[in-house]
Amino acid sequence: MFRKILIANRGEIALRILTACKELGVRTVAIYSEADRNALHVRFADEAICIGPPRSSESYLNIPSVISAAEIANVDAIHPGYGFLSENANFAEVCEASHLTFIGPSPDTIRLMGEKDKARQEMAAAGVPIIPGSPGIVPDEEAARKIATEIGYPLIVKAAEGGGGRGMRVVREQGDLMPAFQTARTEAEQAFGSPNVYIEKLIERPRHIEFQVLGDRHGNVMHLGERECSIQRRHQKLLEESPSTVVDTKTRKKIGDQVVKALQKIGYFSAGTVEFLREESGKLYFIEMNARIQVEHPVTEMVTGIDLVKSQIRVAAGENLVDVVGPVEFRGHAIECRINAEDPVTFTPSAGRITAFRVPGGPGIRVDTAAYADAVIPPYYDSLIAKIISHGHDRAEAIARMYGALGGFVVEGIKTTIPLHKRILTDADFVAGNFDTHFLERSSFAAAK
Amino acid sequence: MDKHGLEEFDYERDNLHIRLKKHSLHAQGAFRPFPAPEIHVAGGSHSSQQAAPAATAPREAAADAGRSDDLHVVKSPIVGTYYASASPGSEPFVAVGAHVEAGQVLCIIEAMKLMNEIESDVAGEVVRIFVENGQPVEYGEPLFGIHPHRKK
Repeated sequence: MFRKILIANRGEIALRILTACKELGVRTVAIYSEADRNALHVRFADEAICIGPPRSSESYLNIPSVISAAEIANVDAIHPGYGFLSENANFAEVCEASHLTFIGPSPDTIRLMGEKDKARQEMAAAGVPIIPGSPGIVPDEEAARKIATEIGYPLIVKAAEGGGGRGMRVVREQGDLMPAFQTARTEAEQAFGSPNVYIEKLIERPRHIEFQVLGDRHGNVMHLGERECSIQRRHQKLLEESPSTVVDTKTRKKIGDQVVKALQKIGYFSAGTVEFLREESGKLYFIEMNARIQVEHPVTEMVTGIDLVKSQIRVAAGENLVDVVGPVEFRGHAIECRINAEDPVTFTPSAGRITAFRVPGGPGIRVDTAAYADAVIPPYYDSLIAKIISHGHDRAEAIARMYGALGGFVVEGIKTTIPLHKRILTDADFVAGNFDTHFLERSSFAAAK
Repeated sequence: MDKHGLEEFDYERDNLHIRLKKHSLHAQGAFRPFPAPEIHVAGGSHSSQQAAPAATAPREAAADAGRSDDLHVVKSPIVGTYYASASPGSEPFVAVGAHVEAGQVLCIIEAMKLMNEIESDVAGEVVRIFVENGQPVEYGEPLFGIHPHRKK
């Protein structure tokens, strides 16, 4: 086991890692920017080193400063948390060169997963389904007609260099294909200077389903079931749960086994998340992999009883997954609500001083937070101030416990997403499990503005 | 790191340049010999940090420094290890009572085996040195208290 770990992060995840280290008897070193002088991760770590001014680029993202701090504190490993340097292959490489263990996958794996197209090809080659589409650019009408016949309708024509909806056309039937193909090419040419487009199956009413995985340095990989993260806004997850209401035991096993096999082939180790889109028919398609611990990892911890962060540290130290985790059993249902410091209606960030802070408790409630009364939420970093996780023997109990916890959570001085979560939890469609990634764009939520 | 008796190791990627030399420096350890400093500029971030640090409100350590209103505090622009001289055994760059010019080297902060020369951003008299040779320093840690010369 490591002697001393530097935690290259801040906020609740830094505290989460601290807790795991303390349990393992590992000494901890916090790093912080000038804006975080009074932060709890600084206070609870065995040592703390100020590494730069408030701006992330000059502190938490500054590789020379982080490595230098690791060297003066004489640590043997660095835990990057999520965000910041956690998926920076270059940083992982510098750690290796400096003889520091990077608590995460290998630099090569991080790099592979960072190149989304390449990651998709690798996963497809390893037997994981990806969204059907053209293998590359569709050069002409003839090729377009051929690929459309192959994948069927509805489909989407997308600009290769594009984004933001430009050069993008949804096609529902064959008769519309040629006009749509030509318009998309013209639009792409005008907007991005290149008429290159590709064609992909359109996933209507998609649900975001992801699988938690854990691998060791001895070639063992396991999955810890799925999380449903369809409640999002602007591609930011807001509420996650496990299990998903639409994944049955058979699907879980099938996809789980495919994922494990693929990652063994790639040589994946450490914690990671494999993300899928689920179409209405029930088919799952791989979209990308996050090569790090995730914000919503506690959901899986609650239903499996496995401490993911502790496990991640133990496998990084070379332990065998069989000893670290053992057999996996899923119990009950867990939900996580992300409490962000932001206006629940306009979604604009709400930095400032917290004047009152009271954390809920009770059976099946866990709160991960680094906030406290009188703490100042700086404007420089992300707006997550707390995560409430509820666990119940079934989904209804988890929802009821979460609703109670939200009511008992007092945060004054700044605006938070607590009211929005209350509305989600009492929404009939949410309760019925009838939703997709566009849930929050629906009229009942939009109307509340 | 102790296990690896590195002599020299060069690593270059994008704008980051790491040069590991003889592995002999330790935060907790006393000042130990190291090769004559070579000044590398470690990418854009470091070179900009080498510029004279801004004189913002001095921290507690500096507060008792002489209570003179015009005491100028030079702070560490990076996290690293403080060295008073260019090499072990040689004269310190400056001592208390010394007069320094703006741009004059005051000390070296070693970060990731790179020796970063820290220059004075004012001309004046060094009245206080807050740190000791070989000591690890944080970003923003006060290093020197300087009485600026009056403008003529």
